Amino acid sequence: MNDQWTDLLSEYVDGELAAGERSALEAHLATCGDCRATLGDLRRVVARAKSLEDRAPKADLWSGVAERIGAGRVVAIRSRRFSFSVPQLIAASIALVLLSGGGAWLALKPRPTQGSAFGPRTGPRVTLAVSTGRTDAAIADLQDVFERNKSRLDTSTVRVVRQAFATIDRAIAEARTALQADPSNAYLNLHLADTMRRKLELLRRVNAIAAAQS
Amino acid sequence: MSDQVVEDTLPADSIAADAALAASGDASAFERLYRTHSARIHSLVRRMLDADEADDLTQDVFVRAWQKLGTFRGESAFGTWLHRLAVNVVLARRKTLGVERGRFQTGDDPLEGVSGRRETPEMSMDFEEALAKLPDGARQVFVLHDVEGYRHEEIARMLGVVPGTSKSQLHHARMALRRHLDR
Repeated sequence: MNDQWTDLLSEYVDGELAAGERSALEAHLATCGDCRATLGDLRRVVARAKSLEDRAPKADLWSGVAERIGAGRVVAIRSRRFSFSVPQLIAASIALVLLSGGGAWLALKPRPTQGSAFGPRTGPRVTLAVSTGRTDAAIADLQDVFERNKSRLDTSTVRVVRQAFATIDRAIAEARTALQADPSNAYLNLHLADTMRRKLELLRRVNAIAAAQS
Repeated sequence: MSDQVVEDTLPADSIAADAALAASGDASAFERLYRTHSARIHSLVRRMLDADEADDLTQDVFVRAWQKLGTFRGESAFGTWLHRLAVNVVLARRKTLGVERGRFQTGDDPLEGVSGRRETPEMSMDFEEALAKLPDGARQVFVLHDVEGYRHEEIARMLGVVPGTSKSQLHHARMALRRHLDR
């Protein structure tokens, strides 16, 4: 083994050697056990690097971030733990969706100027088009699960859940209709993504509760 | 079912939604993004700089991300955007610390800071510890190339060196680290 060849081994591992150098190195490797061993080690180093696992910080750093971005008060509220019944959760989801739906209606109204109230904090206005195709599929899957397991819930709960779904679906449909007319409207994109996320959360909660009834 | 579908598909869409909400000023959505990405960012920072800098710098990365969310267009995944921003924050910090001085000179010996294989298991150093003891230049090239998957041309641009230097540093780092492979 000598430096002339070992210096080429990393580039060989990465497939970056020119054809001539590669052939010469391979001829050398056929006769040099030390270089073959080093080559094996380098390949294991590369594999080890790719297998390193991420570790979360030992301390929760969010409070420091929140303080610096001015979100401390919001965090303090969020850090409390609340417990809601299913009807309460559903009622809360409906309220949230209706509030967002009201926002969408406001967004659809003609405005004298483009809405800075819904734009990014700084810089040019964000133009977003959140892809919803895979979320649609996930919602459909979860809705199938709900239909299969709804018999585990009492009739009045199922009725309330269906009303909640209908409300959310109307909000989603309205947002989609509005987006057809104004595809680059940042608020409508945000509203659609958020409403779909709320439906997913509601479906997951209801399905989890239904599953726990078995 | 659906569990697999949900695990595979929900994160990407919900992260995109949270990024959009955070860009509009929603701190709760930003906290969810922090929870999802903090381990990856903290690990990147810890590997590229000293461990005792990692907490502060991780916070710097997320504060910078909050300030710059208005420039995130959704053309790449949010995680990719955040990761690149974190690399920039780390490299800026590296310049502030002045640790780059002389690190890319040809006479620099990356093997110097990492001792050889230890005689006894209790004295052995694990791979991450050995990585932390590499000289800064070799460590940063190794982390960016072998751990994070950047190409030499990109690394050279980030670090202000030529690609050949990046390749040379990478090789020396690998040669040093091979002594600390788990056997």
